[in-house]
Amino acid sequence: MRQAPLLPALAIALPVFGAASILLAWQFLLPWLGVPAYIVPTPTAIFGVFEKNLALLFGNLRPTLVEALAGFVIGNLAGVLLAVLFVHSRMLQAAYFPIVLFFNTIPVLALSPIIILIFGLGMTPKIVIAAVICFFPTLVNMIRGLDSASDSEHELFRVLSATRWEIFWSLRLPRALPMLFSSLRIASATAVIGAIVGEWIGSDKGLGALIIQATFNYQSDRLYAAIVLSSSLSIVLFCAVVLLERRAIRY
Amino acid sequence: MANAIEARKLDVGYGSRRQAVKVLSGLDLTVQAGSFLSILGPSGCGKSTLLRVVADLLEPLGGTISVLGETPHAVRSRRDVGFVFQDSTLLPWRTVRDNVRLPLDVGQGRLTRTIDDRTDQLLALMGLAGFGERLPHQLSGGQRQRVAIARALLGQPQLLLMDEPFGALDEITRDRLNDELLALWRRSRATILFVTHSIAEAAYLGERVIVLAANPGRLVKDMDMRPFKQEANRCSREDPAIISAMAELRSALEQAS
Repeated sequence: MRQAPLLPALAIALPVFGAASILLAWQFLLPWLGVPAYIVPTPTAIFGVFEKNLALLFGNLRPTLVEALAGFVIGNLAGVLLAVLFVHSRMLQAAYFPIVLFFNTIPVLALSPIIILIFGLGMTPKIVIAAVICFFPTLVNMIRGLDSASDSEHELFRVLSATRWEIFWSLRLPRALPMLFSSLRIASATAVIGAIVGEWIGSDKGLGALIIQATFNYQSDRLYAAIVLSSSLSIVLFCAVVLLERRAIRY
Repeated sequence: MANAIEARKLDVGYGSRRQAVKVLSGLDLTVQAGSFLSILGPSGCGKSTLLRVVADLLEPLGGTISVLGETPHAVRSRRDVGFVFQDSTLLPWRTVRDNVRLPLDVGQGRLTRTIDDRTDQLLALMGLAGFGERLPHQLSGGQRQRVAIARALLGQPQLLLMDEPFGALDEITRDRLNDELLALWRRSRATILFVTHSIAEAAYLGERVIVLAANPGRLVKDMDMRPFKQEANRCSREDPAIISAMAELRSALEQAS
């Protein structure tokens, strides 16, 4: 039997309680157990970095934000456009989709040195890596989404003598939106990963660079602060996608 | 009166011409303009396929078919045919009003006649007056089919093709929609081809009922229902005459299955 849903007040209170209990355990239990601060600094120590080094943190957030955003837009746009091309030309899809799938199996970490070789050390290679990560899930989801209209829906448009263009705008695209947004949600997190991975390999600024520097200098409170900031960036992007989705899909 | 449909030795199938799976074989059928024809048959007998050939969604493999004296393609280009599917096929992102208006939004470039925006009239006619701004998922199954019928009627088609439109509805709703459909038909005098697997529905609605058999689909019974009914295709569901006609249809259907 399915359990009854939680009371609204509890549905809010319980996650807050869960997070608070873990933060408290982290703050007091870990030092008591003898876990050294250079491995796991306490939440207050991490918060202290935000007070002391705010300029440093946000100075490094900006390049990562720009790279992740640009990669998100470019990668998803490319995925959507290629999907549109593929569903309108079965020949093109049959010829090139397997190769695209093959490229997808290359781990992005293995691909990034090549991208940096091609594009140098500026922001461009990070944007490209973030775009590549976003590209594949969106391409695959968008192809499936554009093909997801039912036979009778296609027949309805045929009875109405709709053009291909009208079938695309009035049927296929709206049908594809739910699947597009589910891949955009994933991409909101992976775009940040792509930007940070790119910064690891060759950069002196950005959250990825900050993470590497902090690791080598044993500044673990700074490392954790950079991690908190990068996950906040993903969360903000994710929320933006969800807001957009609520406006675009009302049913 | 002219004929709405004339099919001669109609062969329909799927696949290539040489290796086709025949769904309809050698079908001869004439349907008078303005009449209400019920098409009854077991699944796989090609009753939906027949509608698709009439609607120009499917090309026959052989034989000839003319619709309103023309090719199916000409009739479709003129938007003189309305199609109602078993699932209402409403677009979930469009409001009720915008679903009814769909024929005004697409296919206009290829349309060979102009159609009027009768959305409000049709919503009122189908008992949907206050529902124009709702989304399809906020409607009941019966209301969704009403919207689908309103959409099919928007272009005032001379021919209405209905593919088991009430098959998924409960019996009370189905009976009510049957009566509304008959009232609509009496007013518009459009030709209606109504596919169903319900003997009672076929007998109650049709001025004429044909029974198709499967593998391959062919005509096995052609029954004029007018002798069992009063004028203008009126009858009561409990009328002994109708019930005896239903028994006759049932035995034909049993032999066809």
